[in-house]
Amino acid sequence: MNAETTAERNSVSDILENDTYKYGFTTDVESETFAKGLSEDVVRAISAKKKEPAFMLDFRLRAFAKWKTMKAPKWPNVRYPSIDFQNISYYSAPKKKKQLQSLDEVDPEVMRTFEKLGIPLDEQKKLANVAVDAVFDSVSVATTHKKKLMEAGIIFCPISEALAEYPELVEQYLGTVVPIGDNFYAALNSAVFTDGSFVYIPPDTISPMEISTYFRINTEETGQFERTLIICAENSYVSYLEGCTAPQFDTNQLHAAVVELITLENAEIKYSTVQNWYAGDKETGKGGVYNFVTKRGKCRGDNSKISWTQVETGSAITWKYPSCILQGDNTSGEFYSVALTNGYMQADTGTKMIHLGKNTRSSIISKGISADHSSNSYRGQVKVGKNATNARNYSQCDSMLVGGKSSAHTFPYIEAANRSVQIEHEASTSRISEEQLFYFESRGISRENAIEAVISGFCKEVFKQLPMEFAVEAQKLLTLKLENSVG
Amino acid sequence: MPNTLVKSSAESAFLDLHKKLLERGRPALAELQEIALRRFDSLRFPHSKHEMYTYVNTKELAATSFGLPDDAANVSEDFVSRHIYPGCEHQCLVFVDGTFDRGLSRFEGMRADIAPLSEADRELKNYLSETAANENDVFASLSTAFCGDGIIFKVDDNTQISDTLQVLFVSTGRAAAPVMHAPRLVWQLGKLSEVKVIEKFVGRDGGYFINSVQDWLLAEGAGVSFTQVQADVFDSWHFSKTRVHLNRDAKFYSTNASSGTQLARHHYEVWLKEKGSELKLNGISVLDGKEQVHNFVRIHHAAPQCVSRQHFKNIVNGAARSSFDGTVIVNREAQLTTSDQLVNNLMLSDNCHTNNKPNLMILADDVKCTHGVTVGQIDEDQWFYLQTRGLSAKAAKELLTRSFAQSIIQTIEFPAVVEELSGSLLQKLEATDA
Repeated sequence: MNAETTAERNSVSDILENDTYKYGFTTDVESETFAKGLSEDVVRAISAKKKEPAFMLDFRLRAFAKWKTMKAPKWPNVRYPSIDFQNISYYSAPKKKKQLQSLDEVDPEVMRTFEKLGIPLDEQKKLANVAVDAVFDSVSVATTHKKKLMEAGIIFCPISEALAEYPELVEQYLGTVVPIGDNFYAALNSAVFTDGSFVYIPPDTISPMEISTYFRINTEETGQFERTLIICAENSYVSYLEGCTAPQFDTNQLHAAVVELITLENAEIKYSTVQNWYAGDKETGKGGVYNFVTKRGKCRGDNSKISWTQVETGSAITWKYPSCILQGDNTSGEFYSVALTNGYMQADTGTKMIHLGKNTRSSIISKGISADHSSNSYRGQVKVGKNATNARNYSQCDSMLVGGKSSAHTFPYIEAANRSVQIEHEASTSRISEEQLFYFESRGISRENAIEAVISGFCKEVFKQLPMEFAVEAQKLLTLKLENSVG
Repeated sequence: MPNTLVKSSAESAFLDLHKKLLERGRPALAELQEIALRRFDSLRFPHSKHEMYTYVNTKELAATSFGLPDDAANVSEDFVSRHIYPGCEHQCLVFVDGTFDRGLSRFEGMRADIAPLSEADRELKNYLSETAANENDVFASLSTAFCGDGIIFKVDDNTQISDTLQVLFVSTGRAAAPVMHAPRLVWQLGKLSEVKVIEKFVGRDGGYFINSVQDWLLAEGAGVSFTQVQADVFDSWHFSKTRVHLNRDAKFYSTNASSGTQLARHHYEVWLKEKGSELKLNGISVLDGKEQVHNFVRIHHAAPQCVSRQHFKNIVNGAARSSFDGTVIVNREAQLTTSDQLVNNLMLSDNCHTNNKPNLMILADDVKCTHGVTVGQIDEDQWFYLQTRGLSAKAAKELLTRSFAQSIIQTIEFPAVVEELSGSLLQKLEATDA
């Protein structure tokens, strides 16, 4: 067992070394970047650059006009210096040389980056049955498995391509879940987003494979504004994976993405995220990514379902609330989350479950782990509308504190306006104690394995929602991150 | 002076009202009032998204033009004695429209000092000024700015008062303009002292705004059993702020029973300042029609090994609204804290609302903290079961509603209060069902 565990640990260390951020490299690709600053001209330039249809430009301009009237939110339980939005470049793309015919034509430097990240892009890895739309610095450079998905009638492409090829689909759904003026960062995203993924699952289709996107931030001081739109038509199902890493920089990087999910009748979307962006220097708290994301799904059709699973282990500041609007009757929403903060990380994350239809169900399982000097907040809202008869919610948010300098906060909002509801919310706080670890060690289990056992027990309900490979990776990731924090 | 500023807002009406108060002569607590008035002016009335007033709409209240209580208001002894609980006849303090009424009160032979607040010693005065200057709740500032002369209730070290003390707050109401009044009480408990207090808020007629503030300062090992019965008439506003400071091993057990008004809000702020102190905060509200009760709780665990327990229950019917916004803050030093917080809501109609925000902010790693909220209605199975045992549908529902409330009501240690609440509080629900 020992040899095996060591080997396993080595391979995990390969993926992520504990103390130095292994993915902290910058790929030297010639990229075309706009000058810093944001104005209506920049918004128009982005739209022109991407040769977008007129409605898209109009969408961006309305969002920009709205954004100008808004202020950055102050209510999250996080502290950071205010962001100078004029000091960010809003467009950065690897220079497009010519239409690529196959993966061989992709810039080898870019390919090597993906390899280091372990994205199964090449032929051999196609057998892994994962289609990857790799977003590299705002522009998608390669898409695999597209053909296979196409055969099933599934559209999976960069949103810029969708705008060119299926403008009517995009126009019909874009901004229907997260309106342009929803919040400060969503408005900013709506104005300046450069690319992202678009998925359309036609009626009566079960996606033949899990769809996955890798995000990667490159080029210093380039804000990333991804836009993802997933539409699951009647009686369809898709599972979507999103994983992230970012290179190491001293200047904070802003990431303000918007993800919109729409399910029609009897459809189901399962959206999983493992996020491990650079969190800043562990000792000083310097640097790291600001992750201000708006993720929201709308169960539009009856009997549909949206499930969010997230494992958040990176970013200097995380500010995200994957939410479900349960509009159709008998719809259900789920939220499973593990948020780990260490070093000087700050996370204010949770969910919103808005019950509007009849017999709607939602469940929330949130596990927060805070170590070192970090601060971890759960903020969740369960709102039951007047017509949401028989709505049912169960929320559980548990916190684990590691070390005496971290903090854990819980801010649930429970609002009911219908008497037939059943809402339960519970929360607890515990810690990994020296006693627990000592007990494990006295039974011959190493400290690392002991931490892993405690963590995996604590997070079990969330991990079991993740696809197999993700679950294993996520568990290792947490254990590695906590190794030097306990005791 | 802030009241010389010209403002066209709701605040200016209150600043003007304060001028009228000064015209009546220099108030006993003039300096304190001025500090509070400045604070009021800087805090201002909450906007609709204010974190402390998320579910409480104070717009109408702020826009109402209030008058000052009439000095000559008198309340008959008969009215008072009707609201005095059996057993408290010889020790009761009566406030009429915010002012302590010595004539109606009875406290002969009580082993405690009752003195006007204006005669507070330097230490207490400093405390009062400091709290007024750092007040976080605009309505508490308003209360201090308008309080007449409150009273200090002081119990010496090692004194246990076994008889229950009742404090009765009477609002006479119905004057030319709605009246705002602000009773003020400071409770100082010496080492190892004990006291049992019942407070009751009643109104003779509607159209008043009672805005009370009280401070409980408990020395080492002091113990308090505190029951509040809010029984104002519907047509009134009831705001209260209760500040509690607990020193080593002090215990504060409190239960609040509210029947609601058009807008009632209870604000508790508790500091568990030294090792071993203990807090119990319970609340029950039974609401119907358009009644509202909002509870706002902040508990600061500042020392190790303290315990705080909260349990609030709300029964809402008609178009009533209830909310609970509670935060437990566990400081870095407060290791081995035990804290729990539970809110149960029973919704009986389609138009009622309940909103809950039970927050935890934990900075220490070796603590046991939990919170929970439930929202639901009468359990169909239980209801059905009782009917199979021969109870009518109505009686079965009544029994279930009653038992929901009883778990809080029964924690009150005064039988007279328990009896009254079991009758009055639940009666109104039965009346609507029939």
